[in-house]
Parts: sequence; structure tokens; C-alpha cells
Amino acid sequence: MIEVRFHGRGGQGAVVASELLAHAAFRDGKFPQSFPFFGVERRGAPVTAYARIDDRPVDVRTSVTAPDIVVVLDAGLLRRVPVTAGLRAGGLLLVNSPRRPEELAGLGPFRIAAVDAARIALRHGLGSVTLPIVNTAVLGAFARVSGVVSLDAVRAAIESFSPARQVENAAAASDGYTDVVTAEVGPIPELGPASPRTVPLVLPEDPVASRSSETLPTADWRSLTPVIDLGRCTRCNFCWKFCPDNAIEFDAAGWPVLRGEFCKGCGICAAECPPRAIAMRAEA
Amino acid sequence: MARLTIPAPELMHSGHAACPGCAPALAMRLLLKALGPSTIVSVPACCWTVIATPYPTTALGVPMLDNPIEATGASISGLRAAADALGLSDVRIVGFAGDGGTSDIGLQSLSGMLERRTDAIYVMYDNEAYMNTGVQRSGSSPKGAWTTTTPVGERSHGKAEPKKDILGIVLAHRPTYAATLNPSFPEDFVRKAERARDLRGPRFLHVFAPCPPGWKYSSEQTIAIGRLATDTGVFPLYEVEEGTCRITRTMNALKPVAEYLRAQGRFAHLNDTDIAEVQAEVQRSWDRLRALARSAERPWPPTLSPPTPA
Ligand SMILES: Cc1ncc(C[n+]2csc(CCOP(=O)(O)OP(=O)(O)O)c2C)c(N)n1
Ligand code: SF4
Ligand code: SF4
Repeated sequence: MIEVRFHGRGGQGAVVASELLAHAAFRDGKFPQSFPFFGVERRGAPVTAYARIDDRPVDVRTSVTAPDIVVVLDAGLLRRVPVTAGLRAGGLLLVNSPRRPEELAGLGPFRIAAVDAARIALRHGLGSVTLPIVNTAVLGAFARVSGVVSLDAVRAAIESFSPARQVENAAAASDGYTDVVTAEVGPIPELGPASPRTVPLVLPEDPVASRSSETLPTADWRSLTPVIDLGRCTRCNFCWKFCPDNAIEFDAAGWPVLRGEFCKGCGICAAECPPRAIAMRAEA
Repeated sequence: MARLTIPAPELMHSGHAACPGCAPALAMRLLLKALGPSTIVSVPACCWTVIATPYPTTALGVPMLDNPIEATGASISGLRAAADALGLSDVRIVGFAGDGGTSDIGLQSLSGMLERRTDAIYVMYDNEAYMNTGVQRSGSSPKGAWTTTTPVGERSHGKAEPKKDILGIVLAHRPTYAATLNPSFPEDFVRKAERARDLRGPRFLHVFAPCPPGWKYSSEQTIAIGRLATDTGVFPLYEVEEGTCRITRTMNALKPVAEYLRAQGRFAHLNDTDIAEVQAEVQRSWDRLRALARSAERPWPPTLSPPTPA
């Protein structure tokens, strides 16, 4: 059995990717399974989905804690989410990134592959510059580097089950297949022993949620960041008043300051600022 | 710095799990500014349970009770009794529930709490559908709205039935205070929440709460859409205290509802005839509301008998 875990952000199509993978595996005559982690699927929020593929029916129904393959749809997640948790030594880590896979070697003793899925998605008009829909390009790359499903099956699954833009998505999968690069530095480690299939649940010391949510920054959710031009700002407080994330505070002189670790980039402050002193910018 | 027009202290934490641009999140932020720290909030299954509890954290700087979706009213009656038994009669008890959990699933529980004249504040944030489970229609979804259970296609043209008048149902219970609130008008919002805070007995706040993914608009539009809802008469701002109705944002002429409807993808399929129908209905209820407010010297709407002394 091959166990796969997908990490993405709400809006990138991680859940659909795991479903399409299951459809593709089914076409190849395998017994697949696919389901999302039951959690927040807000746009921009970290999302996890699972898939299992076997030559016989899969009985296990729990979430994947010891994957053979991890797929990361957003390289920004590498900073905050422990995406490689439970991934065995020698397991495959496929990342959507414009970087060379060698540059990602620090992530651990894994077979690392990278594909610039955002560029492929944009080339086919899938999503926007700030939120490209990268799932199908990544699935094409997955077919190539995992060998678990064929590209034909992935394309056929997209053509019958993709919620929209089947032609463009299938083309993106083919490009992902062609473009993906696997790290060539160093010996590819032998596949280590599988971790136990069930990992003990570690409860926090304090079982009642008493820690503030401010211990969980949401900066990664955003694709655009408000930039405040203090030359135009009249200190009217509108940005502060209307922010649903309480992500604007004031300095001692009363000028607005962005709490960058919590801003989700909704754009309300920019839209409501009377002198138009706030612009939404893509982060460098 | 310009003078703050609403209180500075923040009792809602950042890091919560609401979508970018979520008006229900802003509504909680404003509400807690008005109510202050001596507050217990009871939240049923709805977006706000998820927003408040990215495990193992909480986004509320006050205690929160998580309760079943149909039980918000009962839960705040129970919290009130428990607080009183502990001698905490100055603690404010608040239910904070979605429109599905209030005007459909929890309606009996709300009615019971109002009828028992529980000393508590019930807040319904109205994002006009069951959002947490993926945009299913509720009794509070407006006529014509696309939802996943009122699709747009050959045999369905969005929701066929009109929106349930939850405030009418609440007023039939003769609460101490009931009001409509809109986070696009933060000063009015906070003033009403403070008024509710300072009164005793059953109080009900109907909060307008735009939801970018559920209403299909881009997140920066949340405040503008809320403002349009009030200025077109779709969601007028008023309060009813001891039966006396007062409009808190008066308008000589309503803006055309088309401006409000056209700003949202959930109404994209409405044609000119549909829009004219909405316009006529909005005008009718606005006229009715103004008549009610004019009869202000006569407490309680004519159809309702005066409240029996508690
Ligand atoms: C009895 C029961 N039925 C169904 C559910 C599933 N459920 C959880 S949240 C939710 C949506 C609630 O909608 P609403 O009250 O309008 O709040 P919103 O999600 O829109 O904020 C539903 C149906 C439940 N928790 N309990
Ligand atoms: S973009 Fe949205 S979340 Fe960020 S500071 Fe502005 S209003 Fe707040
Ligand atoms: S679905 Fe709507 S109500 Fe729920 S968190 Fe998102 S924006 Fe808020």
C-alpha cells in the first residue's frame, strides 16, 4: 500500500488533487481511497488531504500519519507546517516550487522533487497570479516521479472529474509531467522501515483550550499585503475599526501599524481607507 | 490621533480561523468591545465554533461554551441560572449563533429562552445560509439567492421562498430589547450592544453578516456590501425597546436594491423583473417599518398586547 499526504492552502485544490489521484488509480485498476482532514478549509488556510492506493481493498480508515509520499502544493507551508512529519527516510517529497530540488535538500533524507506548478497553472490560465490553482500540474508531476499512477490515467481522471476547465487542467498535468525535476545530488536513500501505522495521540498538557489563538499566526494565509502610505494617512482609524482580524494597531503617535503576523490580506482596510492611503501589494 | 469612536480594548484575539474578510468575525470583535470582559459566550455548531477554536487555542478573551446547534437558547438559560446560583449575577450571558442555528434548528430553544424571560443576550449573526457546512439554504436566506441547495439552472432559479422575519418572531415574545446591527456601522453597532448590555431580561440582536465565499464576492467588499444593505433598505437599522420602535439610520430615499444585488455573485442570475420584485418588497417593508416607528408613542405594535409584568 502507498500512503500519500497532500498539504496545500484553501483554494489551491489539495482536496480535489487527492480525489483526482484516487480516480486515476482506480482507472489503473488499483484500489484507492481519498479523504480530507476534517478542519478549516478557508481560503488561504493550511489544508491537508490523504490518499491510499493498494492492489487490494484498503481497510484502514484513519488519517495518514506515516506517508510514503508527501505532496506540498505551496512551498510557503514548509516554513510553518511540519509537512514531513512521519515521512519515512527515502520517501518521496514533491514540492511545488520554482527552486531546484537540491536547494530543498535540507528538508531531510528524502527523495526530493520540485515542479514550478504555479508557472504552469498561470500559463494555462488556471487561477490568478495571487492564487494559482496548481493541483493538476502537481498531479502530472506526481505521476512521473512516483510511478504510482500513469499520466494517461491522471489526464482521464481530470477530463471526467475536474470541477472546471478540464482541457486546461489536463494540459497542465502533462506539463507538470514533463517539467518536474528530481534531485540528483547525493545517493537516494534506501526506503527506511515504515513507521507504525498508528501514532499515539499526544494531547497538550492543558486539555481545555486556554491558550490564545495569537500563538497561531495567520500571516501565511494572505497573498496580498496592505502597505500604508503614512504621507496620505489622516489617522482616521477606519482601517483599525473594520479589520475582522484585529491586525492593525497604533504606534505611540497614533499612526496605524500592520500586525503582519495576523493580517490575512482581505483588503478591507485598503477599500475603506478614506484618503486611499493603503495599497494591497504582492509580497516580495 | 483622531478620537476613537468605539472602545479600544480587544477581547477577540487575532489568529482565529475565519475566512479573510469575514463579517461574523468583525461582529464578534465589536460585540465584545461593547460587552466587556465580564461575559460568557455560548456558541453552537456554526462557523464561529470553528473560528474560535483552532485547537488547542481560543480566539475569545472570555469563557466560551460550545453547545449543540439546536440548544443555544436553553444553554444561556442554564448559564444564567448557574451564574446566579454562584452569586455572579453581574456576569453577562450571551448566545452567539448563526441564522440556521437560530431561525431554523434552534427556534424552539430561542423561543423558550425568550418566554422564560431569561436575563441574557441572544445574538444571531445572519450570513443568510448554513455556511460552515458549505452554503446550504436556511430559512433566513433571501428569496432569489443561489445556495448549494437552491441552485441556478433549468429547474431552479435560486431560493424560491422569502426570508424568514426572525425579528418579528422575537418581538412576538415581547423582549426587553431587540435591534438590528450591522458591522458596516460600528458606532451604531457598539451603541446598541452597550444598550443591550445595560438592560435586564431577554435581549436579541440581529446582526447582518456578509460572507465572501458564501455570497460570492471579493473579500475587500464586505463593509461596502453591508453599507449597501442598509442604505437600500434590505437591512434597515432599528431598535425596539419595551415595544417602542426607533429607526437608527434614517434615509429620505432608498438606494436602488440593484446596487446591492449586483455586487454579489449569489444574485448574478436575477433578471430585471426579479430585481423589480425585490425592490417592491423592500419598499413595502421599509414603509411598514416607518409606520411602526411613527407610532412610537404607543408602545408595542398594535398586533401585540402589552407585556405582562414579570
Ligand atoms: C443537529 C445538527 N445538525 C447538523 C449539524 C451540522 N452543522 C454544523 S455547523 C452547521 C451550519 C450552521 O449554520 P448557521 O447556523 O447558519 O451558522 P453558519 O455556519 O452560517 O455560521 C451545520 C448544519 C450539527 N452540528 N448539528
Ligand atoms: S488586509 Fe484585512 S486582515 Fe489585513 S489588516 Fe487589512 S483589514 Fe485587516
Ligand atoms: S464561511 Fe463565511 S461566515 Fe464562515 S468563516 Fe468564512 S466568511 Fe465567515
